Amino acid sequence: MRSAHQDILDRWLAAEQNDRADEADAALAALFTALPPLLPPAGFADRVMLRARLEMETEMVTERVAVAMPAPVRRSLFASLWVRGALTLCLLAIGVSVLWLPQMLHAVAGLLSVGGLVRIWTSSLVTACRWLGSVLGLWDFLMTVGRALATPLETPTVALALVSCLLVSLLAFRFLRGLITRDRSWTYVNS
Amino acid sequence: MLTDAELVARALKGHQEAFREIVVRFERPVYSLVARMLQDPATAEDLAQEVFIKAFRRLDTYDPQRKLSSWLFKIAHNTTIDYLRRRTPETVPLEVGKDDDRGSLAAVLADGSSENPAAAAERRGMARALEQAIARLRPEYRESVVMFYVEGASYQEICEVTGLPLGTVKTNLHRARKELAQQMTDLGWAPRETRDARAS
Repeated sequence: MRSAHQDILDRWLAAEQNDRADEADAALAALFTALPPLLPPAGFADRVMLRARLEMETEMVTERVAVAMPAPVRRSLFASLWVRGALTLCLLAIGVSVLWLPQMLHAVAGLLSVGGLVRIWTSSLVTACRWLGSVLGLWDFLMTVGRALATPLETPTVALALVSCLLVSLLAFRFLRGLITRDRSWTYVNS
Repeated sequence: MLTDAELVARALKGHQEAFREIVVRFERPVYSLVARMLQDPATAEDLAQEVFIKAFRRLDTYDPQRKLSSWLFKIAHNTTIDYLRRRTPETVPLEVGKDDDRGSLAAVLADGSSENPAAAAERRGMARALEQAIARLRPEYRESVVMFYVEGASYQEICEVTGLPLGTVKTNLHRARKELAQQMTDLGWAPRETRDARAS
């Protein structure tokens, strides 16, 4: 004796073999209706509600804690007694060292003559000018290259071709990016 | 009976019973979709619960103009894909002819029959074969098949959930149906006439 399920299955497969799409659609839908439904385990809704309640409670506790705890007050750096002490000691040390400053300056001045100072100053000036010259030379070279590259762009055809190339590359980039970062597509799921 | 939009409105006002009613109303379709995509009932329950928790958290973003089922399917779709992307590749195939398939999707499907033993066995076999055939489909085909044939979703709803164009959804469904039929035939469920012709 043929069962009702077998009849529906036969109807579907026969319709599929004969390319009767509408009939196949209807028969397959009927077959799924006839077969037992896939039910979640008993108590599913209770477990969901439990999780939802826990979630709510956690949120409420977080909010309460946020309300109960005062916002952290920024302490001044100088509030600490240690910092104040260290700072005072530093100032004292500087004050004491000032007493030796004239003697130190006198000793250093003795090492350098006026002629020596002028020599140092002029050699520094020459070195700085040389550096500036090198930089200007490089800038001149870059300007020459830039002018050479810009000359063809003055031709409308070349400029149009360049803009077209830029547009094509921009579109290609956007397309590739979209392809790679497309979200939640089954393409990137290995199952 | 309250409509889906009314239930959502009540749930947003803090009525837990309204949200519970939403869960009860949609637990079967959501679980069915997730379980068939994962082919693992234990993980499917966790993930289906997560779908409802996400819905609970973002209930204020639900647009009452849309169908609640589509919105939930969309969350289920995203959650399942996120899960499958995270996990290491592993599949739990439904082996043909295995007697002990407790815990598998086929066993879950074929439970609770009150028919006579022969009819129940036939139905169990058919359900198992159909689940095996579905499991062998490509994920995007599988999802469309479950939504369209099992849950009765429209083409438009499937487009909304999967983000695929209408033409692609229709093509996917057509190809999926053909593949399913071929799988069923390969698994020994050819139409009776064909089997009789082969036997004679």
